[in-house]
Amino acid sequence: MKVVEINDVYKTYRDTEVEVRAINGVTLSFEKGDFAVIVGPSGSGKTTLLNLIGGLDQPTGGEIIVAGHHLSELRPSELIDFRMEHVGFVFQSYNLIPVLTAAENVGFIMNLQKWPKEKRKARTDELLESVGLADRHNSRPSQLSGGQQQRVAVARALAPRPEFILADEPTANLDSKSAETLLDIMEKLNQEENMTFIFSTHDARVMKRARRVITLEDGRIISDERTNHNS
Amino acid sequence: MKDYQLAWRNLWRNKRRTLITAASVFFAVFFALVMRSFQLGTYNKMYRDVIESYSGYLQLQNTDYLDEPNIDNGFVVDQDITGMIESDPNVTTVIPRLEAFALAAVGSRTQGVMVIGMDPDKEDKGFNIRNRMVKYKLTPDAVESLKAENLPGRTGKLLDVFLNESFTDEAGLTSILGIDRSDTMKVLPLFRKYASFRNACLAASDTGFAVIGSGLSEYLHAGVGDTIVLMGQGYHGTSAAGLYVVKGVVIMPQPEIDNRFVYLTLDDARYLYDAPGMATSAIISITETGDKELHNTQERLTRVCGDGLVIRNWKEMNALLLNQMEADNKSGAIMIGILYLVIAFGVFGTVLMMMAERRREFGMLVSIGMQKSKLAKVVSLEMLLIGLLGVVAGVAASLPIVFYGYAKPLRFTGELARMYEDYGFEPVMPMLLPDTYYLWQVVIVLLILSIAIAFSIRKVFKLNIINALRA
Ligand SMILES: Nc1ncnc2c1ncn2[C@@H]1O[C@H](COP(=O)(O)OP(=O)(O)OP(=O)(O)O)[C@@H](O)[C@H]1O
Ligand SMILES: [Mg+2]
Repeated sequence: MKVVEINDVYKTYRDTEVEVRAINGVTLSFEKGDFAVIVGPSGSGKTTLLNLIGGLDQPTGGEIIVAGHHLSELRPSELIDFRMEHVGFVFQSYNLIPVLTAAENVGFIMNLQKWPKEKRKARTDELLESVGLADRHNSRPSQLSGGQQQRVAVARALAPRPEFILADEPTANLDSKSAETLLDIMEKLNQEENMTFIFSTHDARVMKRARRVITLEDGRIISDERTNHNS
Repeated sequence: MKDYQLAWRNLWRNKRRTLITAASVFFAVFFALVMRSFQLGTYNKMYRDVIESYSGYLQLQNTDYLDEPNIDNGFVVDQDITGMIESDPNVTTVIPRLEAFALAAVGSRTQGVMVIGMDPDKEDKGFNIRNRMVKYKLTPDAVESLKAENLPGRTGKLLDVFLNESFTDEAGLTSILGIDRSDTMKVLPLFRKYASFRNACLAASDTGFAVIGSGLSEYLHAGVGDTIVLMGQGYHGTSAAGLYVVKGVVIMPQPEIDNRFVYLTLDDARYLYDAPGMATSAIISITETGDKELHNTQERLTRVCGDGLVIRNWKEMNALLLNQMEADNKSGAIMIGILYLVIAFGVFGTVLMMMAERRREFGMLVSIGMQKSKLAKVVSLEMLLIGLLGVVAGVAASLPIVFYGYAKPLRFTGELARMYEDYGFEPVMPMLLPDTYYLWQVVIVLLILSIAIAFSIRKVFKLNIINALRA
């Protein structure tokens, strides 16, 4: 089953005089349960592509369909609701709301979706448990390590059961041990909950673990390989 | 997690900045309130003094009397008209008054005075002279004897400061001389013994007696029992002269009046000025004194008062005082305006910094699904909470001071007091109890806040997620 369909998408930035073709004719789709990584040199358009898939930005040309929604047809406020319901985001850093505890951060989107309190609490407990932070319910982000913060962010993204999770360089600020732990967790969630993960990275450790590697260069896909090395 | 809870927690992520911003609002509100309370309280007292001791709220006058207040512009009191005025539901009585200039002399000392002739039976409804009679006076002899009694606390020292001061009641005496409540039983009898002032009011049947202001009594060295000579010009240029024995001394709240006050019975004054049956004005005492009711009453009475006569209200009669107060009021308002302008910049600075610092976070929040309207609501609540924190604290801190300043008005002594008296004011600064001026401070702060909030809402709605995330 396709969760994301990208048809001949272009994205041009017209900042000053110069025109930058950040995405230059990409056609691509993601299946339910993908554990895909987008790689490529700096400036090749990884972040731009993820932003387009997540509905944070609109393409200059082409079409993106996510869970049956044509993103270009959604109004700005509908796009926000769309993201809340269908997309989980994990950013490189500053993912969490500093004034909320780990548990409150995990519950934040469920709170926006007005989940009943008990259901929310049960899901929060379950997720904190599965990211290995069952004992850090009441810690503020500032009391957590970078790796722990990223794990909370993954738990939050996962909480409302989105279509897929987008992670733009989630390990970029982590040491190798924390990065490994985070990948272990994402892999486990991918297998246990059949959650689709799409992330970008520069990190060889991440590439090694992916089951699909898409390589970008100058806004074009130059390779899309499925590997079978399960750890 | 409710929006306000999130806002409340955000408030304390930069504790120092929040406190400084709230504190600046607090100080502005606090100073503005205390200052306004002093100012308005002082105006209020001045108005009240001049109304109660002189003009009354409404007067019946000859049309020309306001511009040329002399006895030739008086009128003959017509019982039909006064009767009609008295039948108005808001009117209690009409008190005819004959007022004219005279020269008062005792021995070689003379002073221009204001002679007021009134019916002693009605006077209490107009001026309440009975309650203004001097009961205690700290004459040099009295002070000497009181000092020998070893009075407790500050009282002994204060006796020198208030030498020659007169008092109309024991409450004034105890508060001004700092007599402790627990000492009153012991101390007051001493004052009764040494400092009592023998005094009497005029009676309707009196002829040849006068009650004079304490300032005038001082100046003329004329005490109770002394005779004063009054000379002046009567109705249509007749000459007026008479001898009067001082029967009582009163303290009129406005020093300007107190220094020139001579009160005779209406009959004596009419005789002195050769103006039988006449008055220069008639004070109309009313029950409801609020601006609106006053105006309505004035309109109703104008319809019945007849040709050549008018009803004047206290504002018309005290236009000069009102103008002075208005000018002073404006300068106060400008100062407060500047104060708030400074505060507005402070609040705005906080908003700017807060918005800039949290751009990335806002980008993240909108990315993961928080609607901009909800985010704007949280940010607005934060600003509102900071502002309200300042306002509530400012109001709370001002209340005890305002209530204290109302109950125990600031009273000047020495040079400053003399200066006030030279300008014709009693050297007292009472504060005004909370009133609409409190509401105004809140409105101003809310106005500043709404500008800050409007700005931050605009910022939130104009937020570009991609740029915010890259920040
Ligand atoms: N908002 C923007 N305005 C103008 N140009 C942009 C914008 N965002 C990206 N670009 C340009 O688009 C191209 C692709 O940028 P993008 O951030 O997608 O690359 P990336 O592959 O994520 O790079 P990195 O590995 O460094 O994160 C770059 O040349 C970049 O300068
Ligand atoms: Mg990038």
